[in-house]
Amino acid sequence: MSDPLSGIAMAAVVVGLTLSTLVTRTSFFVAGAKLKLSHRAEVALRYAPVCTLAAIIAPDVLFHGADALDTSLFNPRLVGVFASGLWLIWSRNIVGCLAVGMLAYSLARVYL
Amino acid sequence: MSASGPGSDAAARHAAFRAGRLAILPYLPGSCAWGLVSGVAMVKGGLDVPWAIAMSMMVNAASAQLAALPLIVAGAPLWAIIATGFITNLRFVIYSAAMRPHFAHLALKRRITLGFFMTDFTFVRFMRAAQENTLPAAHRDSWFAGMVSMNLVTWHVSALTGIVGASYIPTDWGLEFTGTLALVALVGPTLNMRPAVVGAITGALVALLAHGLPYKLGLFAGAIAGILAATLADRFQPRDPRAAEAA
Repeated sequence: MSDPLSGIAMAAVVVGLTLSTLVTRTSFFVAGAKLKLSHRAEVALRYAPVCTLAAIIAPDVLFHGADALDTSLFNPRLVGVFASGLWLIWSRNIVGCLAVGMLAYSLARVYL
Repeated sequence: MSASGPGSDAAARHAAFRAGRLAILPYLPGSCAWGLVSGVAMVKGGLDVPWAIAMSMMVNAASAQLAALPLIVAGAPLWAIIATGFITNLRFVIYSAAMRPHFAHLALKRRITLGFFMTDFTFVRFMRAAQENTLPAAHRDSWFAGMVSMNLVTWHVSALTGIVGASYIPTDWGLEFTGTLALVALVGPTLNMRPAVVGAITGALVALLAHGLPYKLGLFAGAIAGILAATLADRFQPRDPRAAEAA
């Protein structure tokens, strides 16, 4: 399969995308100790992990690749998340909860 | 605690590095599944194997690579492809702002290296340890470096496997869901305070409503909306000892 872009163009794409990784991820790191954020901003950033992950996870589970929202209890991904969450609460074992979640998800895809 | 001498300091640094590697270990099946699936997707999406390998090794950002892929294959203009990379990576600007205070004392080169290899998993795992006060007292940069190196090796090995074995790896098993489950396991236990719950629900709702936006902008909108909602909830939260401790 040949690429629609030339070798030079592809090299430029790889370098450009690498820059996009570098610039976004190191943006505030470069500022270092010189930067002083307000107390309010620091409180806000404390909630960055949980809010961003919620925004990643929710569409992943409820759209599952399709264009239609699937909030039914038969959505295999929802079944997987519930099973995985219950296992995590019960056993506190992360690898176990991943395995149980994948098992429930696979079974739900076959049988529901 | 504060043993002196260069030898014991190097030992403490090494211990922090090893502890970091262990801290990310249980979540690695998620990275592994995502690496594998995105490796396969790049080749099946129409990229030549050598370019898929080069991109995977250099770019280190699965979501940006996958967002840029259709534009590359369609021969879109260079600026459009790179702009897509930047927009898809926007959430990492927030991540770097949140982590900055922990690494502000380090040399610039060290800060840039740690930042470049940051991922969703390693960022959230680090911030959770900071919130739970389980970070090592010293050398938290080494702790983070330990996590990042472990995650990086897992990611590259699985992405390469996906690229090379693209025609043998099943894409209809939903393997990538392991990554989503690992994120749930990572973030679920932090939903123990009202502002966090308010922020998560708001972030999820906005991300769902804005799902149609291009470049994963829905994700970014959800993150911003969630953070604003959580901050508001935080202001109206009665001050209890637990909240004070987290601050």
